[in-house]
Parts: sequence; structure tokens; C-alpha cells
Amino acid sequence: MSSPKLQLNQVEGEGSDEYIQIGVSDPQKIGDGMSSYMAYKVTTKTNVSYFRKKHWSVMRRFSDFLGLHRKLNEKHLHSGRVIPPAPEKSAIGTTKIKLGSDKNADSGSSDFIERRRAALERYMNRTSAHSTLRADPDFREFIELDAELPRATATSALSSAGVLRLFNRVGETVNKMTFKMDESDQWFEEKTQQIESLDAQLRKLQGSMEGLVNYRRDLALSTAAFAKATAVLSSVEEHSSLSRALHQLSESTERTHTIHHAQADADFYVLSENTKDYIHLIAAVKDVFHERVKTFQTWQHSQITLAKKREAKAKAELAGRMDKVQQAQEEVSEWEGKVERSQEEFERISKAIKKEMEQFDVMRVKDFRDMIIKYLEDLMTSQQQIIKVWETFIPEAKAIS
Amino acid sequence: MAGVLFQDGMEDVLHAETNGTKSGRSDTVDLNDSSLQVDISDALSEREKVKFTVHTKTTLPDYNKPEFSVVRQHEEFIWLHDRFEENEDYGGYIIPPPPPRPDFDASREKLQKLGEGEGSMTKEEFSKMKQELEAEYLATFKKTVAMHEVFLTRLAQHIVFRNDHNFKVFLEYEQDLSVRTKNKKEKVEGLFKSFNKSTDEILLGATQKDVDDYFEREKTFLLEYHTAIKDTTIKADRMTQSHKSVADSYIQLSSGLSQLGTIEGPRLEKFINKVADTFEKARKVEGRVASDEDLKLSDTLRYYVRDGSAAKDLLYRRLRCLANYEQANKNLDRARAKNKDVHAAELAQQNACEKFEHISNKAKEELNDFKTRRVQAFKKNLIELAELELKHAKAQAQLLKSCLQTLPEE
Repeated sequence: MSSPKLQLNQVEGEGSDEYIQIGVSDPQKIGDGMSSYMAYKVTTKTNVSYFRKKHWSVMRRFSDFLGLHRKLNEKHLHSGRVIPPAPEKSAIGTTKIKLGSDKNADSGSSDFIERRRAALERYMNRTSAHSTLRADPDFREFIELDAELPRATATSALSSAGVLRLFNRVGETVNKMTFKMDESDQWFEEKTQQIESLDAQLRKLQGSMEGLVNYRRDLALSTAAFAKATAVLSSVEEHSSLSRALHQLSESTERTHTIHHAQADADFYVLSENTKDYIHLIAAVKDVFHERVKTFQTWQHSQITLAKKREAKAKAELAGRMDKVQQAQEEVSEWEGKVERSQEEFERISKAIKKEMEQFDVMRVKDFRDMIIKYLEDLMTSQQQIIKVWETFIPEAKAIS
Repeated sequence: MAGVLFQDGMEDVLHAETNGTKSGRSDTVDLNDSSLQVDISDALSEREKVKFTVHTKTTLPDYNKPEFSVVRQHEEFIWLHDRFEENEDYGGYIIPPPPPRPDFDASREKLQKLGEGEGSMTKEEFSKMKQELEAEYLATFKKTVAMHEVFLTRLAQHIVFRNDHNFKVFLEYEQDLSVRTKNKKEKVEGLFKSFNKSTDEILLGATQKDVDDYFEREKTFLLEYHTAIKDTTIKADRMTQSHKSVADSYIQLSSGLSQLGTIEGPRLEKFINKVADTFEKARKVEGRVASDEDLKLSDTLRYYVRDGSAAKDLLYRRLRCLANYEQANKNLDRARAKNKDVHAAELAQQNACEKFEHISNKAKEELNDFKTRRVQAFKKNLIELAELELKHAKAQAQLLKSCLQTLPEE
């Protein structure tokens, strides 16, 4: 059961012969009990010049991935970059792994591990596909440094930093809801609309995909049950050639069950999980749009303050308080500078986002096409396998005498 | 609610063109002549009832006309079956199992649920799902017609049954047979009777030793077979159901993709619409896989559950006969010992002996027929199933292949 690796990435705009591909594999549990953790092998293949080698591996633990995302976010979000989100934490899944023993790892936890491994792999490849993020020193250290990374303890949900982040996030959410920006740029107006619609529709689509996964898993199980029952029937049947044919039917349907099971995995990993990723990416886009709104707020705020300072200076002049006028003048100059800078900042981030979104849209469209094409190919393969099963069976049925 | 949904198009009139071809599910190995041909030429679904038009073509002298039709309801088929079953003269035969009651409850329930969920889906989605359910309803309807027909054709082809008086009445009598469904008291009586019968059966099975090895083996076989085939039928039904669910879920996928295409705009719209269209086509094929599995596999299994049960009933009757015969022997011995009513006891014993021998001979033939019928039916349906599965898989593979080949480039 392998989840599909993303295609070798073409680097946008730069030398089109360059590629980088990252694999996440060999999940291992290190340690025991609540202090244990999952480690993964991160293998990079690349010909990008600023890396030291062409092919190498390092070991990383899950919190390292989260730490990487946090650092990239802190550094690049305000430059208008869309930062690919890292896989979510799952308290239940993780605790099960920590407390479970290796020997009786049930299928539920091994599914969880595989799901996480695949998600980490997709995360790494999305991040490395972004030319700026790929060149980031923290990213390079993450994939290159052949040693343990310093523990990103602050990523733990229960740490004080984690709690602080939670508060900040709440504050931001309230801000997002209450502040209505006076949008003068039509591009942003339309884009925001489109992002909202996309978000809603993708969620709905992902829901249907999950439905399909469940029904197909059901089909695999019920086909297997049927195969077993048919085997019993075949053993009871007294007419020998009919009994043989029924036995063949049992084997054929057993093979069909395997095909359905594999297809359900494709339904899940190729369609459903990728679409889920996109929903999270849209959230990251919304984050970057919100950064711009924040800089707008700052600019507005500084304009208001400047007006207040000018007023104060005028008042002081009228009152003839020359000592206060001097100070007021200083403050006016200070805030004039701030207004200028915050306006620049706002314009800079607006421009950067537009450029970023261009690239984002190209990548998004390509990824979507690739995902659908891969899925259709998987579906076609399943059907071709089913053809073989029945072609083998027909002569057996005809042989009944 | 379901009534409202039925308003446009389905209403109260549902005709099934069966055009007289037998489904061939159980080709009896009896006479293949055409002196008595029976089929269901038409059927009407009216609210709770189904009205079957039974059409007969015959060269037999007993009948008033060479060709005629009557309208019968399900209860009248059951009446006919019961007349055969209670007839002692037919004790040595396998009585063809009665057709199951027409049951549209599941379909109606689904249509109702769909009606309730109408607000949460697009108009397109809703109409597609409605179409699917209407097709399901139609398929159920066609099936019940086929099952009623098979019951009659088996009777018509059986050398002995075809001459039965009640059968003639059923085919010919133009009025209602006035068979009312059992009232409460009769239902309880019926239950009581069948309970008695099964305990008697079990008791006999346990205590009555059979003089004939062949019948001992057949009894064991039929019991095991019945359990195994019942289980297989249940599993087959479940498998068919989940197949149908997979097919139906393609509907949401297809429509979800279409809506996404509209939002995405020119960059992806053509691409997405081609894919959505492919899913819609694929769904139709998957749906057909499910219904063919149901028809060829599940229905064959289901029929032989019932036919196997009828064969078990035959063995039971024979065993009862054997018990009576042995009892009559004992009575004769006692009468001879007391030298009282010897002649009557001799007569009774002779009667019981004849009955038993007759039923044993007949039963052997019938059980052989049963085996042959079963083997032929499975062969035919397994071949047809496999060929249909192959056809559908090829169709889907081709569909996907051509989609991939013609996907619009970026």
C-alpha cells in the first residue's frame, strides 16, 4: 500500500532542468510510554546547486516537522507567501501509538501511521516546490543536517508557548471577524470571493470522496464475505463439476475483493487526502490575505495617530506653549515616517501576494490535474484486473457438465 | 411523500413487457412440447397491489379456448400453491416453491428519504438520484413478474401437475378466485401448523431410521446445502447492495466536480467537466454491474434456497409415510396376535406400503431432477454473470482510457 509520490517538481522560472523530490519513509517508534515518539526517514533527491549532495537521508521526528512549519510561517508569512500547512496533530492517534506496544500494533494504528507518513511526504514536497521556502536556511537544515535537530518543544500543544499561541489565534479569529477592510483593490475583492467559494466547494467535494471511500471499503469486505460463503457452498455441493466451478467463483471473488480494497486505498490517498490538503492550503492562503489586512489596519491606525499628533501640535502652537510645540513637532515627524513606512509595507505585501498567487494558482491547477489523472489511471488499472479475473473464470463455468 | 414523488411519470400504471419469454431460471427437464404454454404478458402496479395478466396458449382438449388471458393477484398464486401442497397424490413430487410476495417497501422508503433530503442537494443531483431509484423500483417490479411466471411455467411443464384441476381453474376462470388473505385466526392456525410440521420434521429426522441409504444421504446433503446456500444468498445480497452504493456515490462526485469547475473558471473548467462526465458514465456501468449480479447471482441462489426447501419437504413427507408404514406393520402384527380386525389391519398395511413405495420411487426421480435442474441453472447463470461482468469491466476500462486520452491539455 504505497501512497503516490508527487511527480518530480519542475522549478518555476529557474533552470527547468532542476528538480527536488523528498520521500518520507520507515516510520519507527523510538522509546516507550508517554515520552516515546515517532521518527521518520527523510530522503532527498535533487540536483539543485546549493545542496551539498545529490541523494541523502536524515532522521526526523514529528515535532521537527511542526517546528519547521512554525519557523517558515514566522519568517515568510508577512512577505506575502503562502506557507504549506503541516499535518495536523492528533492527540488520540499519537497517544495510542505512544502507549501501544510494537507487538500488537492493530490495523487502526498502522493505518494512522501510514496516513501520517503520506501526509508528511506531501507536506515536504509542497514546501520544497516553493522556490523561496526551498532556499530558506531552516528548511535546508531540516533536510540536510545529519544530526538531531534541537527539540522544538514549543510546538507541544500543552506547553506555555502552545497556550500562548492558542490565545493569539483566538484574538486573531475575533479580529478577522470584526474588522471589515475598506477594499479598494478589485483584484483582492474578487480573489477573496473566489477563495471563499473554492473553500466551500472543496469541503463538499471532500465529503463525497470520503463517502466513496467508505462505500468501497464496505464493498471489499462484503465481497470477501461472499467469497468465503461460496467456498463453503462449493464444499457442500454434491455435483462435482458444479462444486469445482463454485470453488473457482470463490477464488475469483476473493481476488476481486483484493482489487476493491486497493482501489479504496487509491480513493482515499489519491483523492480524499489530497483534497483535504487543498482545503488546508486554502486556509494558508486566507492567512496570508489576513496578514495584508493587518498591515492595512496598521497603516490606518498610524494615519489616525498622525492626525491626532498634528492636532496636538496645532493646539500647542495656539496656546503659545513653545516647549510643547518642539516635542509635538518631533512626534509628528515620527508618525509621518510611520505612516510612510506602513503604507509601503501594505503596498509591498499586496504586490507580493499577487505574484505569489499567480504561482500558487499555476501549481494548484497542475496538482489538481495530476491528482485526477493518477486517480483515473488507478481506476482503469482496477478494471483491467477485474477483466482478467472474469476471463479466467468463464471457461470454468462453461466446464460444468 | 412517496406518493407525491410518484406523481410525474410513474403514477399507478407500471407495465412490464415480459413478452412471454421464460427467464429460464429453472428449466424443468419435463416435456418440452408446446401443448400448454403459460406466461405473464402484462402486469400492473397499483398502489399496494400488483395485477398479473396470465396468458395461456394450449392445444389440450380440456380447455374451452385455444388462447385466453385472466388477471390474477399474488394471493391467488399462493392459493394455487397451497392446493398442490396439500394434495396427497402429489406427495412424491417436489412442489414448485411459491413466488415471494411483491415487496416495494425498500424502494418506497428510499424514495421517501430522498424526498426528505431534497433541500440539501443540487437539482441535478436530485433528479439523478430519483432516476436511479425509479430504475430500482422498475427492476424490483420486473423481478416479481419473472418469479410469478417461473412458478407457472414449472407447473405447466410438469407431466402430472399440468393436468391438475385447480391449475386449470387458475388459468381459465375469468372471475376472481375470491381468495381472501387469511384472517387473524387462520394466520395463527397456519403458524401453528408450520411449527408443528417443523418440530415433527426434526423429531422424525432424529428418530426415524431410514431403510434406504440413498435417502439418508440425500437428507444430510439437503440439510447442509440449505444452510450453506441461505448464507451465500445473504452475503450475495449484501455485496450487491454495497456495489450499488459505490455506483450511487459517483453521482455526488460528478456533480461536486461540475460545481468546482464553475468556480475554477476557464483554466480548469473543460478538464473538470470531461472528468465529471466520465464519472457519470462510469456510474451507469457500475449500477448495471450491481443489478446484473443481483439478477444472475443472487436470484439464482435465492431460488435454490426455496427449491431446496421444497425438496426437503418432499423428504419429510416420505419420512412421515415411512413412519406410518411402520406403524401399520406394528398394528397388523398386533391384530394378528389378538386375531381381531385382521382384514382391516391388512388393508391398512397394504395401503401404507403402496403409498410409501410410490412416494419413494417418485421421490428418487424428483431428487435427480432437482439436481439436474440446479446444475443447469447455475451453469447458465454463472456463465451469463461472468460474461456480463467482463463486458462491464471492459466498458469501464475503455471509458477511462478514452477519457485519459482526450483530456484537454492545459
